[in-house]
Amino acid sequence: MISKEKKVKNKEFHPNILCFCCNWCSYAGADLAGVSRFQYPPTIRIVRVMCSGRVDPAFILEAFKDGIDGVIVTGCHIGDCHYLKGNEFARDRFERFREVLKIFNLDKRFRLEWVSASEGKRFAEVITEFTNKIKKLGPLQAI
Amino acid sequence: MNLITEIENLKKVKQEENDSNLYLRKIYEPDLINLLKKCYQCARCSGVCQISKVQKFTPSRIIQMILEGFEDEIINSQVLWDCLMCNSCLEHCPKDINFADIVRIARYKMRLKDIQNPDRSIAHKGIYPLMSEMMSQDNMEIERPLDWIPKGCKTSDKGNILYYVGCLPFFNYEFEDSLSIAESTLKIICQLEKDPVVILKDEICCGHDLYWGQAKFESFIELAKKNVKRFEETGATTIVTACAECYRTFKIDYPKLFEEFNKKFEVKHIIEYIFDKWKQGKVLFKNPNKSDEVIPFTYHDPCRLSRFLPKDNKIIEEVREIFKHLKIIGYNFKEMEHNKENSYCCGVNSWMNCNERSKALRYKRLLEAKAVGTKMITSCPKCRMHLNCLKKDYEDFSSIEILDFSEFLVDLIKIIEPNKNVEGK
Ligand code: SF4
Ligand code: SF4
Ligand code: SF4
Ligand code: FES
Repeated sequence: MISKEKKVKNKEFHPNILCFCCNWCSYAGADLAGVSRFQYPPTIRIVRVMCSGRVDPAFILEAFKDGIDGVIVTGCHIGDCHYLKGNEFARDRFERFREVLKIFNLDKRFRLEWVSASEGKRFAEVITEFTNKIKKLGPLQAI
Repeated sequence: MNLITEIENLKKVKQEENDSNLYLRKIYEPDLINLLKKCYQCARCSGVCQISKVQKFTPSRIIQMILEGFEDEIINSQVLWDCLMCNSCLEHCPKDINFADIVRIARYKMRLKDIQNPDRSIAHKGIYPLMSEMMSQDNMEIERPLDWIPKGCKTSDKGNILYYVGCLPFFNYEFEDSLSIAESTLKIICQLEKDPVVILKDEICCGHDLYWGQAKFESFIELAKKNVKRFEETGATTIVTACAECYRTFKIDYPKLFEEFNKKFEVKHIIEYIFDKWKQGKVLFKNPNKSDEVIPFTYHDPCRLSRFLPKDNKIIEEVREIFKHLKIIGYNFKEMEHNKENSYCCGVNSWMNCNERSKALRYKRLLEAKAVGTKMITSCPKCRMHLNCLKKDYEDFSSIEILDFSEFLVDLIKIIEPNKNVEGK
């Protein structure tokens, strides 16, 4: 659960963002971003999964239910998936799942991105951009 | 030791007296022993129990074990999450012991006292109950797609008659044709009603699954409160639904929370709605494709319309009267071996227990259907989904078409004085 107090205390809104990274590309990408000291906001909490195909839409709903402000799922570029087609499944699944998120008005708070192991810089950019977007949208939890 | 029959402890947990507790008390009875005591172990329930056909499950034994103090064994075996909540046992119990309802309460207790939580084993990773829960929260704005509404059909957000769509747009993400039920239903209603039909863009779940399957009563109460408020705002007096579960929930469970509910709103299932209009001489049945071929079809009774309604209010005979009448237009209605109150369960209730055992029940049901007809009609969107899901796995059933009641009738119904030119998409 996300504590509400934390958000109120320092007046400025610091979003809480959940980030799923696949073990083979985007987690290494995130690692590279860290090692190369690319700056990105400390808003994300990374969950490492073996493949973006492992991420079930239920995880995302559950996160939103508990008050997370944004969810981002990252994986290898199409064609690069360690398990051949995992990211294609993920892409198709989330494309359809977006319809559900739209009903809840949450589709803007969800993003699917491909980040390879060598794209540390891009990882930092994606996170910065997404954080700014969520900041504009404001907190999900009505405080 | 945590026990589900304990009453004292529970009071401590739920001590604070608030609004929600007040409602909770109306759908929750902490004294389980008292509910079970009447049982005199005739074991009829175990004989008819649907899940007992495919796994070891004996309600009468569960009752006796709890009464004799072996309830930890019952709890540890997790067997209480296996009940299908189909109410076949109540149908045959001479002492009117509502086992499904008792299981519902036991499930709530197990959750409350942190004994067991089955969230991980719900079908589809529990995504549908999660959606219901989200809808009960205040920080979610719901905005449903309305592009399925048939052309020419006037809708509004205020008016006399409300069509409650239910969760169909949510199911649409995995079950692509679910919205065709909504489309067909609305098409029929629109042609019959002079005033625009109320469709809520922000409609939320009725809470049925949280009430029966996952035992999340607090969220159920929130949903019920929000729904009633929203219905009142529309000024509607009649609520029509095409979902058996919504119907039962509105008809029986909401009035438990809000005594006035049935006085304020007249809830009608689309079967009743069409039946009434037919008796009033406002609709006829006609076959658009003229052929001499006779099509045999059958009807699967959803438990919520047969076993889950009071004895004199079941929706069983009306639908059969309509179906028998269809003979004149070339549709021959035949009963399956198990029908009416005895009909087999589709095997999944509130997204619980979708496994190889309940699959066996669905398989049997489709075998029965195949023996008597080429079309299988049902009036519960979920029965249709679960049965269709099995059908896809087995080629031998490819000859059966599984349809919802309104999808089946939409082309066969002829409105005598249609007041609008409603077309399908
Ligand atoms: S049918 Fe009723 S009385 Fe008989 S054993 Fe079952 S619960 Fe008890
Ligand atoms: S509700 Fe159905 S599955 Fe549960 S005990 Fe009764 S007959 Fe068996
Ligand atoms: S029967 Fe099919 S549609 Fe129904 S819960 Fe199981 S997998 Fe889902
Ligand atoms: S392993 Fe990276 S997306 Fe499949």
